[in-house]
Amino acid sequence: MTDVATPSALPEPSAPSSKPAPPRSLRNLWATWRSWTNRIFSLREDQLFMFLAVLIGIFGGLSVVCFRVAIEWVHLLTLGSSIFPPPLRVMLVPAIGGLVVALLVIRVFPGARGSGVNQTKAAVYISNGYIPFVTVIGKFIICAIAIGTGQSLGPEDPSLQIGAGIASRLGRRLNLSQEKIRLIAPVGAAAGLAAAFNAPISSVIFVIEEVIGTWSAGVLGAIVLAAVSSVVTMRSFMGSESLFRVPPFRVAGAGELLAYVVLGVIGGFTSLLFLKWLAYARPRVQMWPRWTQYFQPAAAGLIIGFIGIRLPQVMGAGYTVIDQALHGQFSWKLLLVLAALKILATGLSFLSGTPGGMFAPTLFIGAMLGGAVGSIEHHFFPNISGTVGTFALVGMGTFFAGFLRTPITSVFMVIELSGSYTAILPIMIANMVAYLISRTYQKVPLFDFLARQDGLYLPSIEEEREQVPLVVEVAMITDGALVALPEELAADLAKRAEAKLDAPVLLRVRAGDWHFVERDEIKRLATSGSLTTKASEAKTKGPLPVLFRDQSLEDALHAVGDWPAVPVVSRANLSKLEGVVTLADILRAFRNASAE
Amino acid sequence: MASSSSSAASANQLKTHSREAVLLVTLLLLLLLIIFTAFVTRMYHKKYHVLADEWFARGEASFQAGDAAAALNDYRNAMIYSPANPNFQFHLARSLAATGRNDEARAYLLNLLSESPGSGQINLELARIAARGGPKSMPDALRYYHAAIYGEWETDPIGMRWQIRREFCEYLLNNNAMNQAEAEIIALADNTSPDNLEEQKTAGNLLLRARLWSRALQQFQTVLATDPNDQVALVGAGTAAFQLAQHPQAAGYFNRLPPQLREDPSVAGMVDTSNNIVLADPFLLGLSAEERAKRTANAVTMAEARATACAKETGEAPHVTAPTSPLQKAVAASDAAPADWSERNLRAHPERIDAAMAAAFDMENAAANQCGEAAGLDYALWLLGRGRQGGLR
Repeated sequence: MTDVATPSALPEPSAPSSKPAPPRSLRNLWATWRSWTNRIFSLREDQLFMFLAVLIGIFGGLSVVCFRVAIEWVHLLTLGSSIFPPPLRVMLVPAIGGLVVALLVIRVFPGARGSGVNQTKAAVYISNGYIPFVTVIGKFIICAIAIGTGQSLGPEDPSLQIGAGIASRLGRRLNLSQEKIRLIAPVGAAAGLAAAFNAPISSVIFVIEEVIGTWSAGVLGAIVLAAVSSVVTMRSFMGSESLFRVPPFRVAGAGELLAYVVLGVIGGFTSLLFLKWLAYARPRVQMWPRWTQYFQPAAAGLIIGFIGIRLPQVMGAGYTVIDQALHGQFSWKLLLVLAALKILATGLSFLSGTPGGMFAPTLFIGAMLGGAVGSIEHHFFPNISGTVGTFALVGMGTFFAGFLRTPITSVFMVIELSGSYTAILPIMIANMVAYLISRTYQKVPLFDFLARQDGLYLPSIEEEREQVPLVVEVAMITDGALVALPEELAADLAKRAEAKLDAPVLLRVRAGDWHFVERDEIKRLATSGSLTTKASEAKTKGPLPVLFRDQSLEDALHAVGDWPAVPVVSRANLSKLEGVVTLADILRAFRNASAE
Repeated sequence: MASSSSSAASANQLKTHSREAVLLVTLLLLLLLIIFTAFVTRMYHKKYHVLADEWFARGEASFQAGDAAAALNDYRNAMIYSPANPNFQFHLARSLAATGRNDEARAYLLNLLSESPGSGQINLELARIAARGGPKSMPDALRYYHAAIYGEWETDPIGMRWQIRREFCEYLLNNNAMNQAEAEIIALADNTSPDNLEEQKTAGNLLLRARLWSRALQQFQTVLATDPNDQVALVGAGTAAFQLAQHPQAAGYFNRLPPQLREDPSVAGMVDTSNNIVLADPFLLGLSAEERAKRTANAVTMAEARATACAKETGEAPHVTAPTSPLQKAVAASDAAPADWSERNLRAHPERIDAAMAAAFDMENAAANQCGEAAGLDYALWLLGRGRQGGLR
C-alpha cells in the first residue's frame, strides 16, 4: 500500500504569521499532487526509471523538433529559400558562420565540441553519466548555426547528445542512484537519435551497439520506451513522413546480388579511405597553433561555400539531395562528383573542429556512391532489375557500415528508412562486405580512434564484440575428479582414492547435488572399523555450485569462491560429470589467454 | 539514537519534497516546451507552406512563359518545402521533360504512378516522354497513352480523353503505325460530339491523314450540314471526294471556297484537276449525246498526242507494225480500232465511247509509266482512267 499524503501532511502554518494562509483549493491541489508523486516515488527504482524514460523521450522529441526548426530557420535567414542562392552569399555565409561557431566553441561552450557520440560515451564511462546542461544548450545553438549556414555536417549526433544531456540533468535532479544516472544518458541518447532519424529501431540498436554495448533487459526496456515516445512526440509536430521518400524497388535475383557485392567492395574501400584520411589528418590539425582554431571552421566554410557555388547540394545535411538520388535524378558523373566533394567538405568541417554529426554526411556519400555504382552497372548490364534508387539506398547502408562500423544498425536503418524488407538481401550482403573490408584495413573504429586521439580510453564496443569469451571448457580438467555415490562402501572409495591421488573426490547425492569430500574424511571412514560404512556417512562440503562447459570464466570465478573444486556437468544430465574446475585452473586459463 | 533517526527522517522528507518539486517543475517545463514547440512548428510549417506556394507560383509563371529551365529551378525550390506534394512533383517532372531531361522526369512520374496508378495525367506525361523516345519506346507510349485515355481525370474527363486520343492518333500517324492509327482514329471519330464542329473537323483531318477517305468525307459532310461554308470542312470534303475519284463532288466543294483559298498550293492542284475532269469526263451524268461524243473524241486526240510526244521524248517510233513497248502497244491498239473515233462517228455510234475512252486511258497510262506523270488535262484524263479502272478506294 502506498503512502497517500493528506492535507494534514502539509506543514502547518504558524498561527501568528504575517503572510496569509494559502487558499483551501490550492492546498487541496498540493495535497493531490503530493499523493500522486508519492505514488510515483514509492515505485521501485526500476519502475521509476521506465516512467522517466517516457518523460525523457518526450523531452528529447521536443528538443529535437526545436533543433530541426532552428537549423531550418538559420538556413532560411542566412542562405535564403532558394536551392541556388547568389554566389557571394554562398561563399560568405559558411565562412561567417564558421567564425561565429569557433568563437562560441572556444569562448562560451567548450563542452560542445565533437559530434556528440563520444561525448555521450565519455559521460557514461568517465563522468558517471554527467553531462552539463550548458553543453546541451551550446550543442543546440552551435550546431544549428553550423549546419544552418552550410557546414557539411548532420544533426543526428548532436541530437543524440542533446537527448543524453537532458536525461542526465533529469536523472540528477530526481536523485536517482549513481547506477541509474549512468544508464539514463544512453536512454536520452536513444530518444534524441530516434527523433532526429524518425527511426526508433535503428536508434535503439545504435545506442546498444555503439554506446552501451549490452542488451541488459532493464536498460533495453527504458531505451525502447524513450525512443518510441520521442518518435511519437516528434511525429505529432513534424508529421509522420519518413526522412526519405523511398521509391518502390524490385527484388534482386540471386545472380544480381553480385552487383551489390561490387557496391559493398567499393563502399568499403571508399569508407576506408575517408577513415584513414580523418585518422591521419586530425592529430596534425590539432597540433596547429591555438589561434588558428578561431579560423579553422571559417576556412572550411569558405572552401565549402566555394564548392557550393556550383554544387550547393554538398552544403548542410543534404537530406533533399539524398532523396533526389534515391529517385534516380542524377547522372552517374554528378553522383560521383557529389560523393567525392561531400567527403572533402565533411572532412574539412569535421577536421576544423566544427561541432556536428557524421550520420547525415555518411548517408549522403553512401547514397551518391551507390547511385553512381548502380548507374555504371546498369550501363554494362542493362538487365539488372534494381533501379539506381535501389543502389543509392543500399549504398547508404554500405557506407554507414564501413565508416561508422555499426553493421546491425546500418542494416536496420536502411530497412527502417525504406519501410520495406524487399531489399534486405542486397543490404545485408553489401553492408557486411563493406564492414569486413573496413575492419580488416582499419583496426580501430572511427569513434574509438577519435576518443583515443583526445586522450580518452573509452571501451571499444567493437573490440568487446569481437573478443572471444573465455569459457569454463578452457579451464576445466576432464577426467580429473573421483565421483563417489552415497551407497558406495567407504573402503572401496578409499581404495579408488589411493589409485588417483590428485583428483578431488566429489559425492553425487542426487542429480545436480554434488558435495566435496576431503581425503582425510574418506580415510577416517575407511578405518572406522565397520566394513559396511558407506560414503554417504562422510562429512562433506556442499552442496557445490555446478557449472556448464560453455559458461564464461567470469561466471566460474564467481561460482568457485572458496570451494576447493566445482563440478562441470552436462546441461542435459546434471548427474553426468564432464570435468572439474578449481580456482587455480581458472587463473591459469586467464594467464594463458593474456600471454596469447 | 532517536535524534539521529529523526534527522534522517527529516532529510528523507526533504529529499522527497525536493523530488516532488523537481517533478512538478519538470512537468511544468514539459508543458511550456510543448506549447513553445507547437508555436514554433506552427510558424515553421506556415513559413514552409508559404515558401512552397511562392516558388510553385513562380514556376507556373515561368512555365507558362515558356521558360522551362527557370520553371525547373522554381519547382525544385518549391519541393524543398513540400517534398511529398504530388502536384509539385508532377509539375517538376513536366518541366524536366520540357527541358529534355526525360530520364529524371520519368523517375518522378513513375514514383507518382506507383502511388496513383490510375491517374490519367501522370500516364499522359509518361506517354509523351515515351513518344519522344522514338520507335524503341513505342510499346511504352502505347501502354501509357491507353492508360491515360482510360485513366482518371478530375475535370472534363470526356474532353480530356478525346484530346489525348487525338494526340495519340497523331503520334501513331507520325510513326507510320497505320493499323493502330486507323483503329484509334475511327474510335476518335465515333466519340466526337456532332455538336462540336472543331472536334469533327479535327477527326476528319486525322481520317484524311489515315487515308480513310469515305469516313473523312462523311465527317466533313456532317460539319457542312451545320455550316455549309466552313472552309476547313470544304477543303477536307473536297480532298476526300477527290481521293475517292468523286471529282464532280470534289470540284463542287472546292468551288465553294473563296478564290484565294482555292489558289493555296495545298489544294490548287486538286481544284484544277477536279475541274479539268469535270470538263473532260464523258461519263458524267446528264450530258447530251453530242457532248459525250465530243469529250470522247477530244480525249482520244489528246491521248494520241501525249503518246506521240512521249514516244518522241524517249526516242521510240509510236506507230510501228510490230509494237514492243506498252506505249507502242497502246497506240497500235488505238490505230487498230475497228471504226473511226471521230466526234461525228461517236455521236452516231455512242456504244463505241467506252472502247474509245479505254484506248485513251491506255495510252495515257502507258505514257505516264514511260515518261512520268502528266500535267493539266492529260493528268485529269489519266486520273479519270485510274478512277474508272478502280485504282482508288
